[in-house]
Amino acid sequence: MPETEFKLARAGDVALVTIDNGEDYTKPTFFGRTALASLDGVLDELERGDYAALVLTGKPFVFAAGADLNEFHGASAELARDGSRAGHDLFSRLAALPFPTVAAINGACLGGGLEIALHCDARTISSAVRHVASPEVFLGIVPAWGGTQLVPRLAGVEAAVKLIVLNPLRQNRLLDAAGAVELGLADRLLGPAEFVDESIAFALDLTSEMARGRTVLEADPAGVLRRASAQIDDTVHGAAPAPYRALDLIGGAASGWTLEEGYRAEEEAVAELLPGRHAQASLYAFDLVERRAKRRPPFVANAPVRRVEKVGIVGAGLMARQIATVVLRRLEVPIVLRDVSGEQVEEALAEIRGEVDRLAAKGRYDEGKAAFLQSIVTASTAYDGFAGCDLVLEAVFEELGVKKQVLAEVEELVSPECVLATNTSSLSITDMAADLRRPERVVGMHFFNPVALMPLLELVRAAETDEATFATAYEVGSRLRKRMIVVRDAPGFVVNRVLTRLTRVLMDALEHGNSAEETDEAILGLGMPMAPSVLLAMVGPRVANHVLETMHAAFPDRFPLSPTLANFTRGDEEIVVVEHAPRTVEEIRRDALEAVADEIHRLLEEGVAAEAADVDTALLLGAGWPFFLGGITKYLDQTGVSERLFAEPFHA
Amino acid sequence: MSREVYYVDGLRTAFGRAGPKGAFWRTRADDMAVKVVRELLRRNPQLPPERIDDVAFAATAQVGDQGLTLGRDVALLAGLPETVPGFAVDRMCAGALTAVTAGAGEIALGAADVVLAGGVEHMGHHPMGEDVDFNPRFVAERLVDPSAVTMGATAENLHDRFPHLTKEDADAFAVRSQRRAAAAWANGVMRQTVVPMSVFTDEGWRVADRDEFLRPDTSMEGLAELRAPFRPGGRVTAGNSAGLTDGATACLLASGDAVEELGLEPQLRLVGFAFAGVEPELMGIGPIPATRRVLERHGLTLDDVGLFELNEPFAVQVLTWCDAFGVDPEDERLNPYGGAIACGHPLAATGIRLVAQLAYGFRERPEVRYGLTALCVGMGMGAAVLWERA
Repeated sequence: MPETEFKLARAGDVALVTIDNGEDYTKPTFFGRTALASLDGVLDELERGDYAALVLTGKPFVFAAGADLNEFHGASAELARDGSRAGHDLFSRLAALPFPTVAAINGACLGGGLEIALHCDARTISSAVRHVASPEVFLGIVPAWGGTQLVPRLAGVEAAVKLIVLNPLRQNRLLDAAGAVELGLADRLLGPAEFVDESIAFALDLTSEMARGRTVLEADPAGVLRRASAQIDDTVHGAAPAPYRALDLIGGAASGWTLEEGYRAEEEAVAELLPGRHAQASLYAFDLVERRAKRRPPFVANAPVRRVEKVGIVGAGLMARQIATVVLRRLEVPIVLRDVSGEQVEEALAEIRGEVDRLAAKGRYDEGKAAFLQSIVTASTAYDGFAGCDLVLEAVFEELGVKKQVLAEVEELVSPECVLATNTSSLSITDMAADLRRPERVVGMHFFNPVALMPLLELVRAAETDEATFATAYEVGSRLRKRMIVVRDAPGFVVNRVLTRLTRVLMDALEHGNSAEETDEAILGLGMPMAPSVLLAMVGPRVANHVLETMHAAFPDRFPLSPTLANFTRGDEEIVVVEHAPRTVEEIRRDALEAVADEIHRLLEEGVAAEAADVDTALLLGAGWPFFLGGITKYLDQTGVSERLFAEPFHA
Repeated sequence: MSREVYYVDGLRTAFGRAGPKGAFWRTRADDMAVKVVRELLRRNPQLPPERIDDVAFAATAQVGDQGLTLGRDVALLAGLPETVPGFAVDRMCAGALTAVTAGAGEIALGAADVVLAGGVEHMGHHPMGEDVDFNPRFVAERLVDPSAVTMGATAENLHDRFPHLTKEDADAFAVRSQRRAAAAWANGVMRQTVVPMSVFTDEGWRVADRDEFLRPDTSMEGLAELRAPFRPGGRVTAGNSAGLTDGATACLLASGDAVEELGLEPQLRLVGFAFAGVEPELMGIGPIPATRRVLERHGLTLDDVGLFELNEPFAVQVLTWCDAFGVDPEDERLNPYGGAIACGHPLAATGIRLVAQLAYGFRERPEVRYGLTALCVGMGMGAAVLWERA
């Protein structure tokens, strides 16, 4: 990784300091040891220098993206404490400079980048900036270079809670420039064209008294903190320490701590959290979804990709409609839709076009573009217009016979190169393609509901799928902005197989006399975002039971049918207790984790997923499992489950 | 039908040394143009941006960061309303002056009330002659002497043609240019005509606020030692010519009606202009016929003109003009703030630097009524624009 330096230049009476790593904007600047050493040297010069003001800014398009996470993996408490202390000491020297200081936030400003900016007297921000955040809690730690102490003082407790605690818990939500100004993090919004020039002018106009010593008073900090605590409970259910710890630090600042006290408390907090299992699992998870999942697998990178300029969708149900909408929005190519039901076809068309209207109303499209997009979606009960398709995606009822028939009908109409994709969630794609003339052009593209929001796409390679077909499906997936894992054709693939195995344990507990409250508690206690009973209601018992039946057909021993789930599908709420032998919540949780561990172990042994990292990526992005469990295999290793079951961890 | 055309205001960036060591090496040419346009608007708040009827921007290399119909590109990047059109101009070194005369033509004809004219040349990004495909007919048919395409060689040709203009004369002119430029940076002209610009460099951000070719301590002795790169035993050196330069300029032109309506404060009235063609291998003499033509056309003589801003690509080039008109090269009316030898010559940007300095010179010399800006152009041309105090 390129080393970040602080570079000092003199512009008249102004000290102009640039955070730069000598690379372009595709390689953001991070603060590691070298950067801090460089800052130390620059502060020496600044303290000796005779300046009227200081402007601190970044290389083009990046202010600073925070601490270098590579130094965090496997960090000890001492390293964490020392790193935090070093930042506090250096940034405090910046804050103590005898002339006005301005951070000119010209681009991405994250974590430690924001904290160094907060140590300046004032902040300008370019209106083009879209990435401002304190994502530490998202990574299982807390801001520990002064963020928890300065944000409440500069912008108030409510702003601090939003920035430091709540935004990270909402999939690490980012602020744009206007949002940062609104929240009180930046003082002046400036246009990007002459941003540095105007920031210098701003700094020269600034007098120290204007900016220093501001404290924003809150009407009821205790109420804000109490509400925030309840919101954390709703999300992590006490299972992750970082958000609570961050809230305590903000509370401390509000309760009258001196900065010194606050900084020592940050140091203690990060010394505890960083080496802990939550933070380490989060760092692992972050690396999976932000780096690993964005890399194109080599066998895809080298294969020929076919152009996709027209897409057919078979089916007009819930998934088909959502897939069609996403394809229309991201690919902007003609789409033909087909369903046997004329009523469904009309409804689907109205829904897709209505979605375009909704986006146009939000300003995403102008009127002409919206009308064009609406005009390129057509639908019928026949296969009108399928002949010219480059990709046909089927999302009809999960019944092997139905799907085989659909694919056979489509094959008659389309060119030999057309890719046939199925959105099946559990059926065998190899079986589905078996009777086709060209089974090698069939591939699985398993989307998750809601399609627009869920980032995961399971890309399934059947026995005969050829390279060009797979590479084309991968390319379409990237254009749809999905993150993909590559899986081999096997019932349930990864996400549904693991989730169904887990569900089966919970149904079993119910069928042995436990209550839904107890099974919910067993899972929520891990820090899962949603109670299993709520999730089941959302997915629908029919779908869940259908998947279970498929899994049962493949692996009857591990996936016995559930009479209770069968009842639910008929709208019958009755839990069928086969034997009254209730377990404790802890026992249910243990059984659930062991079942999950066992199923993942099998997925890897069978080669359905290549690596545990793929399974974790799938669970993080396809099931919304939390970062602090590291998908799940990191947690299974950390808590000794994998060692106990298989005598070795998932991660050596 | 013809209407009066006024020069309202003009300015430039500092001029940088072309190449990796120059201040603008990592700055885009169009961003430099945007900077001068925005500063011009900031300095003239009476002018609502939507009242600009056209943006004419010159560049010699119309590719890369100087491509894409520069006038329009720069207008959009500078935040002008999308209703303001723009176009690109090329007449090599006379690019900016041609942007001015083209805009003036629009105003004179009543097609526009306010025109923003400018020029930019990033010679670091676009070395002269790069990607140019010379037609082989030029050589095969001896249409031009091969030396015509190397500007330094054309300057050596001037010494050949006018042997009484010696290297010592050229060096003395260069020393004077550097001295006058140094004095000019100490007085107000540069504060008035140069806008500082933050630029990103290998050393981080810094502010480009001073020309990089200034050498106030230049001496005859020092110049005597320099090598003549264009010809063994030649007379043209880095010391008595302008270096390869990055820079941008822009100015505002307006009709009399617009000046009145918007309350603009014009500094100059455009009297007239002329372009002329000469032997390409002697391109440096181009300003002589151009000057004659514009004076004749308006019934004036050189004695009527109280101030001259001539470009100085090569000292000998200015000397030929002085020689032709009997002007003493030391005359205080000629380049009172020094010239391109001291500040650099970013080809298509230079013309407006001359106009801006001429306007400042008028302020310092209340007795002057007429002024001339002129420069020579590669492939054998000259440009001269005659101005009157507004």
